[in-house]
Amino acid sequence: MANSTQAAFEKQPMWAGGRSPFNVSYGKLMMWIFLLSDAFTFSSLLVQYGAQRFSNVVSPVTTKWPDPASIFNHFPFIHGVHLPLLFVSVMTFILIASSVTMVLAVEAGHRNSRKEVEKYMILTIIGGAMFLGCQAWEWYTFIHEGARLHSNMFGITEQGYAHLSKIDFGDPFHWADGDRTNGPVPFAALFFIVTGFHGFHVFSGVVINVVVYIMTVRGVFEKRGHYEMIEKAGLYWHFVDLVWVFVFTFFYLI
Amino acid sequence: MEFPVKPGEYDAMNYIPHTESHGTKELWKTFWILLGITIFDFIIYFWLDPSGFRNFIFIFFGIVKAYYIVGAFMHLKHEKINLALIILVPTIFIIGLIMGLLYEGNAITWMK
Repeated sequence: MANSTQAAFEKQPMWAGGRSPFNVSYGKLMMWIFLLSDAFTFSSLLVQYGAQRFSNVVSPVTTKWPDPASIFNHFPFIHGVHLPLLFVSVMTFILIASSVTMVLAVEAGHRNSRKEVEKYMILTIIGGAMFLGCQAWEWYTFIHEGARLHSNMFGITEQGYAHLSKIDFGDPFHWADGDRTNGPVPFAALFFIVTGFHGFHVFSGVVINVVVYIMTVRGVFEKRGHYEMIEKAGLYWHFVDLVWVFVFTFFYLI
Repeated sequence: MEFPVKPGEYDAMNYIPHTESHGTKELWKTFWILLGITIFDFIIYFWLDPSGFRNFIFIFFGIVKAYYIVGAFMHLKHEKINLALIILVPTIFIIGLIMGLLYEGNAITWMK
């Protein structure tokens, strides 16, 4: 593939066929199209969540949407303390860090530096695995507290509101009798569906990264002369991070 | 119309554009921005009481984060504008759907 051929190829009439009007390879363009369709998938889930949440905003208290701060307030190895948002912030940090190592692997790929690509891919895989571990713990705690796909034990009573409004960050915390009642069912169901769907994407991302790492180690890309596959895996991995930004915002912050 | 390359000689299926490293400076800058916004969110969460304004801040900075992830990490800022537009324009319609369904959801509250 001579460079002059490629230059001529890029100068062909843009929409006359036989070339890429976007100046990207076929595989990368298709990855973008897949990510667009995946963005619509996640959007439909989040729109569903928003509509359900907005339809449960007023009294009676039992139908009110639970306050995430009163439920996702656990941290591993620290028991009975009210620590909202801390653990998910750590998870967010892990995912951002693994995004950075991924993009460094892509950059190393541009320089055809196989050793560096291997190093950064390993770090990315570790980050992804850590995130999955955190999410497993989050689910375990939530289920342990009584959350199910078909019921929601986190409807908060008047007494519960009075109790919860008094506690601060770091206070000892446990649910008292009469604090909780049955609340809107979609709360737990949508939490499991959306974070589960996102977690499955992270899992697929880790599998893809492992496959790409093995291909790097075996020198497949070195023989091919370019590391474009790292870029494609990277696009997917960053998309997973992007979705987490919105899951984090809508499920935990708001 | 002129075709410098004959069809089949070199076609779109095996076209791989030549890529060059632009260094890691922009990437690290993006990382610090994302980390900073996450810490800022954390502070705002405990500093302000729940309100529409606080939610607006969270959503606004969520979109800022999305801009940096898509623009710098996914490299869309440096792609051809053609590609950026076919990815970004359809997502505008999602915003309309969100607005509409939040409004309807709110209306259902009062119907219950």
